[in-house]
Amino acid sequence: MNRPDARNLLLFFGVGFTLLFCLSPFVYMLLTGFNTSPDFLRPGGNMAFTLDHFHTVIFSPQLHFPRYMLNSIVISAASACITVFAASLAAYALTRLPVPWKGPIMVFVLAISMFPEVSLLSYLFKFMSALGWANTYQALILPYVAWTLPLSLWILVSYFEQVPHDLDKAGLIDCASRLTILIKIILPVAAPGVFSTLLLAFIFAFNEFLFALMLTTDYAARTIPVGIAMFQGMHGEIPWGEIMAAAAVTTLPVVILTLLFQRRIIQGLTRGAVKE
Amino acid sequence: MRAETIEKLSSLGFLGPLAFFIALFIVLPVTGTFVDSLFRDVVFLDRAFIGLENYRALFSHPGFWNAMRFTLLFVIVSVPLEILLGLAIALTLNETIPLRGMIRAVVLIPWAIPAAVSARVFELIYNYSYGAANYLVRVLGISREPVNWLGTDLGAFAAVVATDAWKTTPFVAIILMAGLASIPEILYAQARVDRAGFIRRFRSITIPLLWPVLIVAALFRTIHALRIFDVIYVLTGGGPGGATESVSLFAYRYFTTGDYGFGAAASVVLFIMALSLSVFYVRLGGFGKRRRE
Repeated sequence: MNRPDARNLLLFFGVGFTLLFCLSPFVYMLLTGFNTSPDFLRPGGNMAFTLDHFHTVIFSPQLHFPRYMLNSIVISAASACITVFAASLAAYALTRLPVPWKGPIMVFVLAISMFPEVSLLSYLFKFMSALGWANTYQALILPYVAWTLPLSLWILVSYFEQVPHDLDKAGLIDCASRLTILIKIILPVAAPGVFSTLLLAFIFAFNEFLFALMLTTDYAARTIPVGIAMFQGMHGEIPWGEIMAAAAVTTLPVVILTLLFQRRIIQGLTRGAVKE
Repeated sequence: MRAETIEKLSSLGFLGPLAFFIALFIVLPVTGTFVDSLFRDVVFLDRAFIGLENYRALFSHPGFWNAMRFTLLFVIVSVPLEILLGLAIALTLNETIPLRGMIRAVVLIPWAIPAAVSARVFELIYNYSYGAANYLVRVLGISREPVNWLGTDLGAFAAVVATDAWKTTPFVAIILMAGLASIPEILYAQARVDRAGFIRRFRSITIPLLWPVLIVAALFRTIHALRIFDVIYVLTGGGPGGATESVSLFAYRYFTTGDYGFGAAASVVLFIMALSLSVFYVRLGGFGKRRRE
């Protein structure tokens, strides 16, 4: 066997492994969601297609599934927007204005993102309960904003640094205010970066579990991950078909986002983590 | 002079929202947790300052050491595994292959799915009588008897590691892909001229130049693995018999039963472990020095 053949064989296995590794649990989830019974892999088990599980999950009033979905989308979208707003302002100041201790501020913000969530948990719970905000949207939105800010700031700073400083000098000569420059000049030029940040902040908030578990008590504000984690059957037997149908509906928006915007997401992630 | 003062003030205004959120929802809660850990802070009892009593109780609690042992073991096993798998995927996707963009998007799918949701899928995969894991065990002839994945210590440990690896390997792969892409192609071309083989090129070019990125990925993963919660809460609930109970889960249990002081002490210990690692990381990466020039 010559060299290119060996290389191709190795690549073939690499690609095969990658696809199998990433997709098989996902496909298994879909198969179970569309099957009458989850035991089709049992010896002698067979498959029978049904839409019942999806129908139950979407239309059964006891499960509150559409409500969880709505909560998740509103909470994640709101926190992503607020995060990007706060992070853009800060990133503008850190790249353009004479802020003292820029380096230490960046490192401090990075160090904060390393804190374990559990070390904020009890205090946030008490704080939100004291305000009467337990089980409300704001009880999750506010901590999510704080929680996604460090990553957003790092990504936006790296994008803003690349916007030529001459552009805002021109704006200053025209006597535009700093805020106008940020909105009219920097943000449009750095739009791809802002969009990446928005996507990542949304996905992080959408996936968050521990705060949502502690700070919500019922469907009024409970998010999808917690809803699915708590999804239990009424008669003892775990309703796998319905859980997997719910999981499939949940993953649909994030999977579509990732497939559509993979380039943006990968850029954002690597900007946040790898500084060249 | 006046203009400069205005600039200073306006920069404070620009940093205001960031400072507000971080102060109120991160710094304050962490400080609050530190303070709570020094108090007897139990629902229905009077709050009382008890110094380090919570810590003394914590360090003599066998459950805490059990959680500590599991958490460290989990970090030691899962991080290298995820780095190796991630590196394999990154090396593959760095080559010119057909449909590369599509395959990259597919790699992002496990990362994008909420951990609680993927843990639920894996719970079914590890089902004793009809899960996919035991289907493979049977079809591949690995064992005649089904494996009791979630009911035995070792099985549950392996299940947690595999579930976490599925979710986080894509993240590692993407970071490493960015690192690989930044290695100049000319180095490989020169090495080929010098008739260096694949292994030699990998050892002398790829690994040394990828090293800083590998360190970053490893430390990110270490810090996240240290606080593992979602996967365990959903998949095993810490069981069987506490075999997969992490420190985060241990602390969470005390919060939900109303013993805030004791739970706070456990989270402070986890916090200190994570913080020392991030300081180590910031030093190692030379961040802060390189950032502003």
